[in-house]
Amino acid sequence: MAGLNLKNPEYYLNRELSWLSFDERILGEAKDKTIPLFERLKFLSIVSSNLDEFYMVRVASLKDMVDAGYTKKDIAGMTPKQQLAAISVKTHELVNSQYSTYNRSLIPALSEVGLTVVRSHEELSEEEGAFVDEYFEENIYPVLTPMAVDSSRPFPLIRNKSLNIGALVKRKSKGKDGAKAETEFATVQVPGVLNRIVNLPSEDGKKIIFLEEVIERNISKLFLNYDVICASPFRIMRNADLSIDEDEAEDLLKEIEKQVKRRQWGKAIRLEVQDTIPKKLLKILVEELQIEEEDIFKIDGTVDLTVFMKVYGLEGFDEYKTPKFSPIPVLDIDPDEDIFASIRKKDILMHHPYESFEPVVNFIKEAARDKDVLAIKQTLYRVSGNSPIIAALAEAAENGKQVSVLVELKARFDEENNIVWAKKLEKAGCHVIYGLVGLKTHSKITLVVRREEDGIRRYVHLATGNYNDATAKLYTDLGLFTCNEAIGEDATAVFNMLSGYSEPEGWNKLSLAPLWMKDKFLALIGREKEHAVNGEEGRIIAKMNSLCDQDVIMALYEASNAGVKIDLIVRGICCLKTGIPGVSDNITVHSIVGNYLEHSRIYYFRNGGNEEFYLSSADWMPRNLERRVEILFPVEAPELTERLRHILDAELKDNLKAYFLQPDGSYAKLDKRGKVLFGSQDAFCREALEKFEAAKKDVKNTRVFVPETNPGK
Amino acid sequence: MKKKLFAAIDVGSYELSMKIYEMASGKDWKQIDYIRHRIDLGTESYSKGILSYERMEELCHVLCEFKQIMDTYKVDDYKAYGTSAIRELHNTIIVLDQIKSRTGIAIDVLSNSEQRFLDYKSVASAGDGFETIIAKGTAILDIGGGSIQLSLFDKDTLVTTQNIRLGVFRLNDQLKQIKAKPSHTVSLLEEMINDQLAVFKKLHLKDRKIDNLIVVDDYVSPSLCKRKESDSLTNGYLSKDTYNELLSGGTFKEMTPSVTIASQLIRCTMNVLDADYLWAPGVTLCDGIAYDYAVNNKLIRADHDFEQDIVACAKNISNRYQGSKKRGEALQKNALSIFDATKKLHGLGKRERMYLGIAALLHDCGRYVSLTQVGDCSYNIVMNTEIIGLSHAEREIVANIVKFNHDEFRYYEEIASTSTIDRKDFMIIAKLTAILRLSCALDSSNKQKFTNVKITPGEGELVLRVDTDINIELEKGLFEEKAEFFEEVYNIHPILKQKKSI
Repeated sequence: MAGLNLKNPEYYLNRELSWLSFDERILGEAKDKTIPLFERLKFLSIVSSNLDEFYMVRVASLKDMVDAGYTKKDIAGMTPKQQLAAISVKTHELVNSQYSTYNRSLIPALSEVGLTVVRSHEELSEEEGAFVDEYFEENIYPVLTPMAVDSSRPFPLIRNKSLNIGALVKRKSKGKDGAKAETEFATVQVPGVLNRIVNLPSEDGKKIIFLEEVIERNISKLFLNYDVICASPFRIMRNADLSIDEDEAEDLLKEIEKQVKRRQWGKAIRLEVQDTIPKKLLKILVEELQIEEEDIFKIDGTVDLTVFMKVYGLEGFDEYKTPKFSPIPVLDIDPDEDIFASIRKKDILMHHPYESFEPVVNFIKEAARDKDVLAIKQTLYRVSGNSPIIAALAEAAENGKQVSVLVELKARFDEENNIVWAKKLEKAGCHVIYGLVGLKTHSKITLVVRREEDGIRRYVHLATGNYNDATAKLYTDLGLFTCNEAIGEDATAVFNMLSGYSEPEGWNKLSLAPLWMKDKFLALIGREKEHAVNGEEGRIIAKMNSLCDQDVIMALYEASNAGVKIDLIVRGICCLKTGIPGVSDNITVHSIVGNYLEHSRIYYFRNGGNEEFYLSSADWMPRNLERRVEILFPVEAPELTERLRHILDAELKDNLKAYFLQPDGSYAKLDKRGKVLFGSQDAFCREALEKFEAAKKDVKNTRVFVPETNPGK
Repeated sequence: MKKKLFAAIDVGSYELSMKIYEMASGKDWKQIDYIRHRIDLGTESYSKGILSYERMEELCHVLCEFKQIMDTYKVDDYKAYGTSAIRELHNTIIVLDQIKSRTGIAIDVLSNSEQRFLDYKSVASAGDGFETIIAKGTAILDIGGGSIQLSLFDKDTLVTTQNIRLGVFRLNDQLKQIKAKPSHTVSLLEEMINDQLAVFKKLHLKDRKIDNLIVVDDYVSPSLCKRKESDSLTNGYLSKDTYNELLSGGTFKEMTPSVTIASQLIRCTMNVLDADYLWAPGVTLCDGIAYDYAVNNKLIRADHDFEQDIVACAKNISNRYQGSKKRGEALQKNALSIFDATKKLHGLGKRERMYLGIAALLHDCGRYVSLTQVGDCSYNIVMNTEIIGLSHAEREIVANIVKFNHDEFRYYEEIASTSTIDRKDFMIIAKLTAILRLSCALDSSNKQKFTNVKITPGEGELVLRVDTDINIELEKGLFEEKAEFFEEVYNIHPILKQKKSI
């Protein structure tokens, strides 16, 4: 190992390209014919929305770097310019592949099952044409705002991510001097308030067309004094990375409100047009938007495929969707007693979405109404619209509980939402902290302080996922309820720190980023290495969303080299390379892309037989370990660690939905021939149901009648 | 019994801190919250004697938050103390009043010796280890921002204590003044510290062997007492070698200037005192406040007799100024007998009884300086020697009693014009001076002729019956004069009666 430079760029993958690999894996799901058709549509749509985010956040930031003349290389040895070039190549390939899947596979398949997508208005029958024209006049026309550009009217603001139709128009009447009228550019935004799917009358099956096609067909009605020469849809993406100078922002809240408005004005960084767009029209767009050649995507088909998420929601195609799974109730929580009594009995681990998220909401609801509860403290990162948690917190404050909430305003894309909630909470009497200057608060923790007969008791909920009841049905996450005193003490200290007080003198169980967590991880990895060096078995299993912290990767390489067997389950970005001789021979990387978004972070260290399991809100990314407030917490009860072990084992066993990182940096699924197929997400669903059925049977087998109690309690 | 929730607030020179405790009777009480906020009150207070508008705003803001936290827990009671930064303000009373009206928190000011006494109590509260450790030769090093307090134990009583101006921030300021190079910091510190410690050693240590050094500080202790993972350390108890290894190994989590200075202070003190072991129980003033509160409210019983420490300190001072041990003790015995017999007359309590005892022990310490101005010299010695556990006001009471035992008594208006003594204190001084004078009258010859004095208060008379066959002509002759003041204070006439056995 001596003399081996672990910082060698050849040992790392570029994080942006790795992000795109994740999109390729999602596209892989859209291509997979064994998956129900409508699920494939969903994956196709996710590829688009992911790519949108990628451009707005990552490409934007790289462009900023290039503009600023920043040439520092990343861990894979690429300058920002080189990265952009590589990204452009890869995204174009990705989009081509996506549209080829869309055109060649999905559209025909849809029509086979009775859903016809009319891709262009020229394909409409006369009857259908008359229908959409009427639909246009009745429903669409009133909300359109067409805009023309000439010498007196500047090029209009094209909103970020919005779909538009650009047109070239020419005035009908000749000018006063009889000169030939000039060609002008006009544009109209496809209104976001209207459903993009327009249902066509159809006798057999369902037939749809997209809104922009209907508008394009009727565009001449918008420019009555003009002749419309040509029209074509286009969509742009703008630089949306928020970088607030927090030292200068006097009022963080106001600054963010300003940023949200300003975002639409960001520089255009991507232009999507149909490949049929007339050259002249494209030229005007390119010039006005100052877009570069490599950022133009000429698309063979519908622009903005995120609409297929809505198509997925169309009624009547249930047989082409994976049957909906209803989360089972958390069996360790006795519905007949208050949730605190259940937590006092033992620590409770919840695996969402296989198990219901309801107890987490109830925890706060009950705390709000419980007479013995003194205080509720919580961090909120991304909350759902109409969040029942917010309502419960407000109620608690109205009931005289001391409620402190840290609302993270810097959560990307969600600021507008969060500001509204934060204000609402403040009105109700909650103490609201609008994030910490310079740090994002990403930890998910709730503390309920209760004064009980035998003294103060603290109930804590710690989780890997956000307090968002909507995403809790789609993301796999883990949550822990405990009233362990040591954790309670730490939780109190966490909130004291978040309130601006000094750090505690020490921590019992929790590790916090950005202050201690990275060292803790490096120490844990280092300890496995020591075990291996001493001839013991060294073993690490770590599951996370992304892995790109160089210090952690180097520690993993060192551990691997010492003989530690390392299995990583990384859903998205992974800058670590597997199979480098003498560096990472003992490391495998699995990536599970399933119906649910893998979101839980589980870290396992064998520790010479004295095994340790941790859960966390943090990935092994510099931003998590260095620029965010994150929490790492141990799970210690043997019953619960067995469950975590089972989760990790099942995910490592997954050969249905798992992709494996290859030494060349690509991902591949296992050759399934002759193998018993096993999907971990399916297995978890099955097991949850079995567990629930067994519990119901238990109830049946007792000879005592249990009266139903008021479920509204 | 329902558990009591108690909040202890320390308005320190560089930090505001509050600890919330859950207390039940017996030792079963625990800390449930600890909130700290860094705020530099010291710099302004020490240099200008007032707090700026901004600092005051910040102080009140944080205290308001503390109040809210107390309300959240529904605490049953609280105690808030200000230390040197508050004490050294010119307008302490105004500041405290403002704080009270803005935050609802009433802050009491601790004198240095009270503060150190509470720190010391916090160590005692740290657990069973305390009594075991002080059974051997032990010193306590209490590191503050402006000064350190070094106290010595003899057997299990605290006998001497000295405030030395080697506080962390003071040293840091000096280092800045010198513009010390980082590489020279340690050696410079060593020089600055050792110089003053050597004086302490010469004066107080004599032939005492110090085995253990107990450290109370906010800088190094936290890293020491929380190092549970390391095998060699248990609850902050470690050998000198281990400590030095930790120090050189850079194990302390962050080597801020304060940590560097505090760790060097500990190292130097260990070297000068030649202590083998270090105990950093990781307690703070708040723990002492809570302990004191719990003891005062009879929630727990103190294992250690702290009053005995105060008396022992007084004896030690008397010893230092070559007071007669025998006479002092006889005087103390007689004075306390009179005190006990006249309880109904003076109506004073246990604490005042202790003042009297200490005053008796220190009654002639001034003789060491001057035989003609015993009163003044004694007064000055008492006022300038710290007695851990006595507040400044209490020390002044004792000093006045000692003084007026020799000098002509002066009345309230006269005393009040030059000191902070209030009417209540004045009456304590008068009553105890009368008793001390009377007991002195019983030993005018300095020969402790009376070993057994029976005191019976009667109608208008206080009969002091002594069993002795020796000639007590001198005592009898001087008695009337010395008893005069007693009569003035209590309106009762003391009579000396001799009972011979023959």
